[in-house]
Amino acid sequence: MKLVMKFGGSSVGDGDRIKRVAKIVHEQVNQGDKVAIIASALVGVTDDLLKASDEAKRGNIEYIHDFIHQTKKRHVDAVSKAIKNQLLKEEVMSFVKNTIEELEKVFTGIAYLGELTPKSLDYVLSFGERLSTPILCYSLRDIGLEADHFSGKDVGIVTDANYGEARPLMSLTKYQVRQRLEPMLDKGAIPVVTGYIAVTQEGFITTLGRGGSDYSATIIGASLGVDEVWIWTDVDGMMTTDPKIVPSAKTIPELSFQEAIEMAVFGAKGLHPRALEPAMEEGIPVRIRNTFNPTNLGTLIVNKQKIKAGEVVKAVSLIKSVSLINVSGAGMVGAPGTAAKVFEVLGRNNVNVLMISQSASEANISFIIKRNQLGKAISALEIAMLGQGIVREITSEERASIVAIVGAGMKGTPGVATRVFGAVAKKGINIVMISQGSSEVNISFAVREEDGEDAVRAIHEEFGLDG
Amino acid sequence: MRIILVGFGVVGQSFLKLLVFRHNEFASKYGLRPRIVAIVDRGGAAVNGRGLDVDRILKIKKEMGSVSKDPNDGSPYLSANEVIEKIEAEILIEATPTNIKDGEPGLTHIKKGMKTGKHIITTNKGPLALALPALTDLADHNGVHLRFSGTVGGGTPILDLGRKCLIGDRILSIKGILNGTTNYILTEMSEKGIEFESALRMAQELGYAEKDPSLDIDGFDTACKLVIMANWIMGKKVTLKDVKIAGIRHITLRDLMNYAKKDNTIKLIGSIDEGLEVKPRGISKRDPLCVPGGLNAVTFVSEFAGEETIIGRGAGGMETASAIFRDLIDIKTNLSAKFRI
Repeated sequence: MKLVMKFGGSSVGDGDRIKRVAKIVHEQVNQGDKVAIIASALVGVTDDLLKASDEAKRGNIEYIHDFIHQTKKRHVDAVSKAIKNQLLKEEVMSFVKNTIEELEKVFTGIAYLGELTPKSLDYVLSFGERLSTPILCYSLRDIGLEADHFSGKDVGIVTDANYGEARPLMSLTKYQVRQRLEPMLDKGAIPVVTGYIAVTQEGFITTLGRGGSDYSATIIGASLGVDEVWIWTDVDGMMTTDPKIVPSAKTIPELSFQEAIEMAVFGAKGLHPRALEPAMEEGIPVRIRNTFNPTNLGTLIVNKQKIKAGEVVKAVSLIKSVSLINVSGAGMVGAPGTAAKVFEVLGRNNVNVLMISQSASEANISFIIKRNQLGKAISALEIAMLGQGIVREITSEERASIVAIVGAGMKGTPGVATRVFGAVAKKGINIVMISQGSSEVNISFAVREEDGEDAVRAIHEEFGLDG
Repeated sequence: MRIILVGFGVVGQSFLKLLVFRHNEFASKYGLRPRIVAIVDRGGAAVNGRGLDVDRILKIKKEMGSVSKDPNDGSPYLSANEVIEKIEAEILIEATPTNIKDGEPGLTHIKKGMKTGKHIITTNKGPLALALPALTDLADHNGVHLRFSGTVGGGTPILDLGRKCLIGDRILSIKGILNGTTNYILTEMSEKGIEFESALRMAQELGYAEKDPSLDIDGFDTACKLVIMANWIMGKKVTLKDVKIAGIRHITLRDLMNYAKKDNTIKLIGSIDEGLEVKPRGISKRDPLCVPGGLNAVTFVSEFAGEETIIGRGAGGMETASAIFRDLIDIKTNLSAKFRI
């Protein structure tokens, strides 16, 4: 089998964990698989770099000094633990030290200029992966594998210049990645590539933003035409629900891309919908696996959804810390443009809307936003909409939660809604808002915050998700 | 609409009282739903993102002296600048006392408010008198409104009359009595036949004049108002240093008596013509500007409409608070115009 395996930050958290990853790779290679590796930064390093950039921008040289010292220590420790062979150790150590020296120069520059552009921030953020990747590569060599490390730039992932959230030029990228990595794979060597990092056609470093390293993995997987992309993380896969709410929640063995995207949107751990795109386009299955429980086969995400009889709902998630806003007024009935204005006001104020519902009477529009944006949203709407004789009132329910139910089997199955709302009603829970997209893969409804977990439990039980 | 109120003296408290009285009317008539998310006074701050309990805050201020004593929302160690920078709000009302030396702390509050994207309503003349052209620039640059109706004429809409009602005509000159305290003193002197010192003492006892009355009687308050009018109504980019200022300290009972013989009297007149000037002048008692006591009166001379004089109470907590509401509604109307359905 030809595989791309991506290891997330917690999988490469320190030297011991990197050794564990090397062992996983070794076993796979022993089975005769051809493997390309994508690595994230050591857990927390990217956030630390972000914080340090901010301090550098403010000219806090002392902070930078401490930060450089600690970052160096952390990576040096990881090298010492992950690699036994003295020669290899020295080789990678000097690489790490040089890279950190470069980082210190970059920070010093930022501190003196007092300026941090999205372009320079991407350059700074690239250091996390540029430091982790060689360590993982040398730990593979340490156990006798043939491996080499590359940055996203080296392998030719080319993007637009939208720093912080760059989009790959897919055809060019595919061509270049294939050119550079295929010969290596063919002779059984393992390329270890930085996640998250790419480059503009002018040669400036960009980052892939949301989806990050997972996105790198699917891009490279699509480029190499692999059989599967494996995302190694610290959970067993996509779950039927949050096990903190339902302890008997189970890993879902198989999902369609469409279902996975719905779940990812609703906060399923560790996947951004954007990251699934390249794999979905090529029809390459993506498997989510647990580095700390490698015998579990995790969740496989595939193109063709196989709907088993009776399997209607696959997962139910709870989105907390949201608020509901209700815009109402008899004057809204038959007044074209009201909804457009409401959402224009929210858009201009950078308020993201998670869920929308309007009654056919048109006398009110309800929608759900993140709770920390409630004050801003209400104020902006009041200023823009009230006093014009159309919108009469803007009210809110501050403490709400969304319950989202996902399953391709719901499509065309009558009575799903009855079961969902029946189960919730039996617990005496009041539903404050309902929304179902016409794709029928998802039903979402909102309840008061204190009812959220009970609603999830009721649905988990109703559809027998714990087996 | 979320509001931060910095400075919680007579004007600030009157604003809150008015808010309580008129809450329903503001909502139904103007679509205005003000929420006071923070108040700062000398003792600290009270903050609540969902809106402070206005009745309770007024009571606490009255009984305990500072809003920071509020058991739920008070924070004694929070400064005005921290509040302005950290608390999300659409409007900053700056109502700290006037300081004509350097405009502080109001000037910094206003600049910080603008930088963080807040529309500004101020009743504080100091920052405007010293830096109005600069502040207007800064407001435009940051895309926020700057309003200050309450700084001239208290509740009497002098600024709006000049700028809005006479739109289309050209205002050639403005003159008027803009300071109630000095007008009270001069009126008492001439009507009761007493000297300046005793009239001033009476004004202080009645609370019309401050302990340090210099700002009023030396003409600086009038000068500040002239600067604001010259900028706002006539588009002149001037500040306090462009005003020639003389006060009323040297006016004697005898001077007044002499003028009275010809049916004239002395008033402290501020005028904008070629230049800006504050000085005591003799005027006819039949001139519409010749108002008694604590009143203000302003005459606009315009090219086509001729002379108009507006008379009203020039100061007072409720009067100035009503001017703040005028500004609030004006800002709200401007902002919502973009979203007219």
